[in-house]
Amino acid sequence: MNLNDEVMWVEKYRPRTLNDIVDLNHIVESIQAFLKNPHSMPHLLLSGIPGTGKTTVALCIARELFGDKWKSFTLELNASDERGINTVRDRIKDFSRYSRTGFGDAPYSLIILDESDQMTGPAQTALRRIMETSSRTSRFILICNYSSKIIEPIQSRCAIFRFSKLDKTAMVEHLKKIAQNENLRLLDEAAERIVEYSEGDLRHAINALQTTAAYQTGVIDEQTVLQVFGEASPRQVQLMLNKALSGNFIEARKMMYDLIGQYGFSGSEIVRQMQRELLKVPHLTDSEKAELTDIIGEYDYRLTQGANSDIQLSALLAQFSKFRK
Amino acid sequence: MKNDLLWVEKYRPKKISEVLGNELAKTTFINWLNNKRRRKKAVLLYGPAGVGKTALVNAASNQFNFTIIEMNASDTRTEKAINKVGKPATSFVALDKFSTETKGNILFLDEVDGVFGQQDRGGIGAIIKIVKESLIPVVMAANNPDIKKLRPLKKVCQMIRFQQVRIPLIITMLRRICVMENVEAEFEALERIAQNSRGDMRSAINDLQSISEGRPVLRVQDTMFLSYRNKDIGMYETIMGVFSAESVRDAAMILNRSSVNYDDFLLSISDNLPLRYPDSADLAHAYDLVSRADVFRGRVGTENWHLLRYFFNLLAEAATVSPRSFKPFEVISPPIRIMKLFWTKSKRTKLENICAKIALKCHVSRTTAKTDIVPFVKIILEKQKSSPIISWLKLEPNDVDYLIKINKF
Repeated sequence: MNLNDEVMWVEKYRPRTLNDIVDLNHIVESIQAFLKNPHSMPHLLLSGIPGTGKTTVALCIARELFGDKWKSFTLELNASDERGINTVRDRIKDFSRYSRTGFGDAPYSLIILDESDQMTGPAQTALRRIMETSSRTSRFILICNYSSKIIEPIQSRCAIFRFSKLDKTAMVEHLKKIAQNENLRLLDEAAERIVEYSEGDLRHAINALQTTAAYQTGVIDEQTVLQVFGEASPRQVQLMLNKALSGNFIEARKMMYDLIGQYGFSGSEIVRQMQRELLKVPHLTDSEKAELTDIIGEYDYRLTQGANSDIQLSALLAQFSKFRK
Repeated sequence: MKNDLLWVEKYRPKKISEVLGNELAKTTFINWLNNKRRRKKAVLLYGPAGVGKTALVNAASNQFNFTIIEMNASDTRTEKAINKVGKPATSFVALDKFSTETKGNILFLDEVDGVFGQQDRGGIGAIIKIVKESLIPVVMAANNPDIKKLRPLKKVCQMIRFQQVRIPLIITMLRRICVMENVEAEFEALERIAQNSRGDMRSAINDLQSISEGRPVLRVQDTMFLSYRNKDIGMYETIMGVFSAESVRDAAMILNRSSVNYDDFLLSISDNLPLRYPDSADLAHAYDLVSRADVFRGRVGTENWHLLRYFFNLLAEAATVSPRSFKPFEVISPPIRIMKLFWTKSKRTKLENICAKIALKCHVSRTTAKTDIVPFVKIILEKQKSSPIISWLKLEPNDVDYLIKINKF
């Protein structure tokens, strides 16, 4: 693992070469096969849950193709921030059209579209044509959580790789390696706790590790880990959930408006977090959680159909307020 | 019966005392008018139609010898037209101010909520400018002060609110007219006319005139064909109306008559729902219907207008989940969301900026930065005030302060 001047550990310990990557052997092998003859590499679609190494793989490919100058040959866009058709028509089209082969020995330029399942339908349709016409000069790596949200014509133009949850022991080992490098003693049960709470999301795990290290130098024990996860979990969402479940609709709705107002969360983002937090509420039975999950799902769907997310969220909270009575 | 004049014109008040009702508004207006050192150079009289706004202005100027320069909705009111009348009128003090007969001019802009659209472009802006520079009192009247375009006006005007005229006062007025016109009327007939007018003096007088046409004696059965004028019902009335309706049918009828903006109304219903249904089962049920109404609103989009009827019916159902439990309550307005978003706009922008910095460095989207990384960065900064992360993320000192102070979410 080569050190560098990065400060956030997620970046500092992000693998630089495909060989450094933990626990993705089958994916890494097929990609290395492509890279032996770069022209044979098709467009790639990397799909899977967050924190499993999709972006890392894409960045490694860029480095292996272009060496240190990878940034000049790569356009990295986060589709959830720039997801409209204009981005596709302007930035992507321009970048993909011009051959950069004259500079150095790069075979083509690379376009990495992170969170591409957030792209609008029209944007995806516009992209499809560009992928075809520019295949002489560029390659696309599309990264997404759900490949089903990518339109079929694009899927059929890509080699698809699915990233599943990372193996727990591999994650524990990785965390320990980082701890060693940072001169920390990471106790076994603390490492396991982090991995357990991160649910296969390595980015989350590494962030948590760095945060615990801010609490305490030297030894990291289970106690500190629990403290960090307690503080870093979306407290406001938790509070809102609890207020609603205890029947206090008005307070719950006030918190909902805080989430929208102060943090600028979208309706679907709040619903997603409610779902995540619901599973952690201690005083509900599994069948109650299932029932509430069903309700969340219904309103998540209505959110996509309706005109106004405030209303759907309020309605959802009202159902929760009734639930306990 | 000599009927060469409309009674509303004939019996228009000549003196302030003849304007009935709205005593508080009257006193406020008179005090403003007679105060040489008035704090605001303009007043905006607002309230429903036919309650005496224009009548008061005319009566007052008559009594105190002001000369009125008037523009109403029948005049074109572009910026140019307003300046043409308003500018000369307001930038000089009339010569005859020094004579004893008159106290000077008033610029009276009636029906300012009718300054609209393409035809009256720049009108409101011109009015504000005139108000600011005016040397003479400017009086404006409007029905609905909440129209978006009028909002800037509120800042430069003293607002005087008029309410519906109370029924007994309307009856008094109608009786007075009957005496003058030699009409013999049953009390119940006048009562019915007054009630039917719902506080609109002008429509009551008009009704009286049309019914008593050719009838020397006015009986209660003569008034039977009177029907409610289809009044434009505003947001407040619509909400109170649907919530107090006894059945879905009544609620739907009120919705049909109302001219409120659907989307505003939907939000307003949602804001007020918990006040209407203290019982959580009722509330959940009503919210489910409102949520389905919103789904239909989404499907209506900009083309499938025929779907709107389902939207209305669902809302009507939501408003009448348990008609028996209705108790009067204070309506929330303006919408909570708008208030909240207004107050927190700067905070939000700040957080967005920080997230953009993180997103750039950590190869994630701004949303992921907000949900997955900010919580951790916040704790690290709390613990290590001079963490190298600060310079690495290029955070400004006030970004750091902000992250430390922000509530946990």
